[in-house]
Amino acid sequence: MEDWYVFSEAEMSAIGLSFKVALWCAILVLPIATLIGWWLARKNFRGKAFIEGFINLPLVLPPVATGFILLLLLGTKGLIGHWLNELFGIRIAFTYYAALIASMIVSFPLAVRAIRLSIEMVDPGFEEAAKTLGASTFQSFIRVSLPLALPGIISGFILSFARSLGEFGATIIFAGNISGETQTIPLALFNQIQMPGMESSAFRLLLVAVLFSFLAMAFSEYLVKKLHRSN
Amino acid sequence: MHALSAHLKRSKGDFTLDIKVDFIQGITGVFGPSGAGKTTLMHLLVGLENPDQGYVKIEETILVDTFKNICEPTRNRKIGYVFQEGRLFPHMSVRKNLLFATKYIPKGQQVIEFEELVNLLELNNLLEKRPKQLSGGEKQRVAIGRALLSSPKLLLMDEPFSSLDVKLRRQIIPYLIKINRKFNIPMLVVSHDLPDLLSLTRELFLLKKGRVVGHGTYLDLLEQENMFELMRGGGLMNVIPFKVEKHDKKDGLTILSNKSASETISMEREMELDCCQIGDYVNLSLRPEDIALSLEKILNISIRNQLPGTIVKIIQQDSRNYCLVDVGFKLLVSITHASLLKMELAENKKVWCLFKSMALQTNF
Repeated sequence: MEDWYVFSEAEMSAIGLSFKVALWCAILVLPIATLIGWWLARKNFRGKAFIEGFINLPLVLPPVATGFILLLLLGTKGLIGHWLNELFGIRIAFTYYAALIASMIVSFPLAVRAIRLSIEMVDPGFEEAAKTLGASTFQSFIRVSLPLALPGIISGFILSFARSLGEFGATIIFAGNISGETQTIPLALFNQIQMPGMESSAFRLLLVAVLFSFLAMAFSEYLVKKLHRSN
Repeated sequence: MHALSAHLKRSKGDFTLDIKVDFIQGITGVFGPSGAGKTTLMHLLVGLENPDQGYVKIEETILVDTFKNICEPTRNRKIGYVFQEGRLFPHMSVRKNLLFATKYIPKGQQVIEFEELVNLLELNNLLEKRPKQLSGGEKQRVAIGRALLSSPKLLLMDEPFSSLDVKLRRQIIPYLIKINRKFNIPMLVVSHDLPDLLSLTRELFLLKKGRVVGHGTYLDLLEQENMFELMRGGGLMNVIPFKVEKHDKKDGLTILSNKSASETISMEREMELDCCQIGDYVNLSLRPEDIALSLEKILNISIRNQLPGTIVKIIQQDSRNYCLVDVGFKLLVSITHASLLKMELAENKKVWCLFKSMALQTNF
C-alpha cells in the first residue's frame, strides 16, 4: 500500500493547475479591478448603482448559476461562443481558459471591493494637488493614489488569488471536470470524496487546500502591515 | 499687460459667485469673511471647478473662455497652487515632493533651479524627511517650494497662514516676500486675516457673498463706509512702508526711515531685518490702539514719533471711534468717545499723532 503522504500524478496536476489558474486569474484581474475600483471611488455618474450591482452580481449569485450564464454566453452554441467558433474556430467552454474565465468572473467583485475601499480612503485632494503640478488624471493616479492605496490593491490581488483557489461551482459547469485540463483542487477533491476508497487522496488535497489558503491570507496580512508601517 | 485677468460666474445652490479680478504684478491680497467665495475663486482659476460663464487670462494666454468653448485642464494652466492644508504627498520624501512637477517641464524651460529654491526656503535639512515628520511651518515652506518648481506664471495661495499657529504664521511672510522679489512671480494670496495680508501687500480685493465689493489699496478702502465694517472683522492695522537705510553690523542694528510722513520717521531695529537688502522697503504694522492724539506737540515726553496731520474722517462704529488722520499718508487711530468729545475732534482739524517706535511691529 502507498504511503498516505505520496501525491499521485493526478493530484499533482490538480495542484499545479489550481496554482496556475489562481495566479493568472489574480494577475489578469488586478489591472481591470484597479481601474474599475478607481472609477467607482472617484466618479459619480448616472446609473452608478446599476453598474455596481452588475459588478457585484457574481458575489451573491450561486456560482453554479454564474457558470451556467457563462456557458450560455461563451459555450460552443452560446450567444458569443458560437460566433467565436464559426469565425475564428475558438472554443472556450471545457478548456483551461474556461476555468480561468470562471475564476476571474467570481473573484472580480472581491478585488474591486478591496481596491475601491482603499482608494476611497485616499484624499482626492492629493490628486488635485498633482494636477496643479502638471500631472494628467492618469499620471496623478499612478504617482499618488496608487501608491497610497497599495495595501488595498495587494489585498485585492491576494483575495482574487484565494477566491480562485476555492472556485468550484462556476468552473464545474463552464469548464467541466477534466483531469489535467480543468480539474483544479476543489474539483479533484469533489471527485475523490465521491469515490469509495479514495479517502487518503481526498485528505491530501484537503491539506494542500488549507495550506494554500492559509499562506495566501497570512502573506496578505503581512504585506498590508508592512506597508502601513512604511507609510 | 495683466498678470491675471478673469471674470467668473458660478452658481452652487443658494450661492452665486460673480467675480471680476485683474492685477498687474506683485502680491495681491484677497480678503473676505468665510463663505465669501475665496476658495471657490481659487478653484475656478486653477481649474478644479469650472465656471458657468466667464474667462481667465494669464498674460496673453486664454485659459478659459466659455464663449469660445476654451477650458484648459488644470495641468496645462501653469498656475501654482498652495493649498490651505499643504497637501504634501505622504508617501514621498520632501525631495520627491519638491521635484514632482519637474517631470512635466521640458528641459531648459525650468524657471527656478532646485538648489536655489532649497537655499532660499531653507529646506536643506528637510530633504530626506517624510511630510509627517515636518512641523506646520516646514510643511508650508515645502508646499510653496513644490508649487514654485512647477515654473508657474502665477502663484495662488489659499490661507497660507491659517494652518500655522500665531507664532509660526508670520515666519512664512519673509519667505513670500523674498520669492516675489527674486522670481518676479505674481502672487494672489487669500486670507480672512487682515493683518497677515497687510504685512504682505496693501493691494486688496475685498470679497463678500461671492462679489468683489472693493478693490484698491488698504487705506483707500478704509475711507469707504461699507468697507470699513467688512474689514474690521478681519482686524484693523496701519501698515507703514519703511526704507532699509543701513545695517549696522557692529551694534546689530538696522536703521529704517520713512520720509513720506509730515516728519521723517527714523528708527533702529535689532538684526531681525537682516534678510532685507539696503534700499528695500519693509512694511511695519501699527495698531490703531497704539497711537495717541494730541492737539499740540508735546515736548517733555519720551515718545519721539510725533507727526502733525489733519483729520480726514471720523468713523463711528458701534461703541468704537476711529479717526483717519493724514500725516503724509493716512493713519487709522482708535479713540474713546469721551476723548472725541473732550478734544472737540472733527474733520479738517489739525492734530498730532504720537506713537512709540516699539509699537511698530515687523511681523517677522
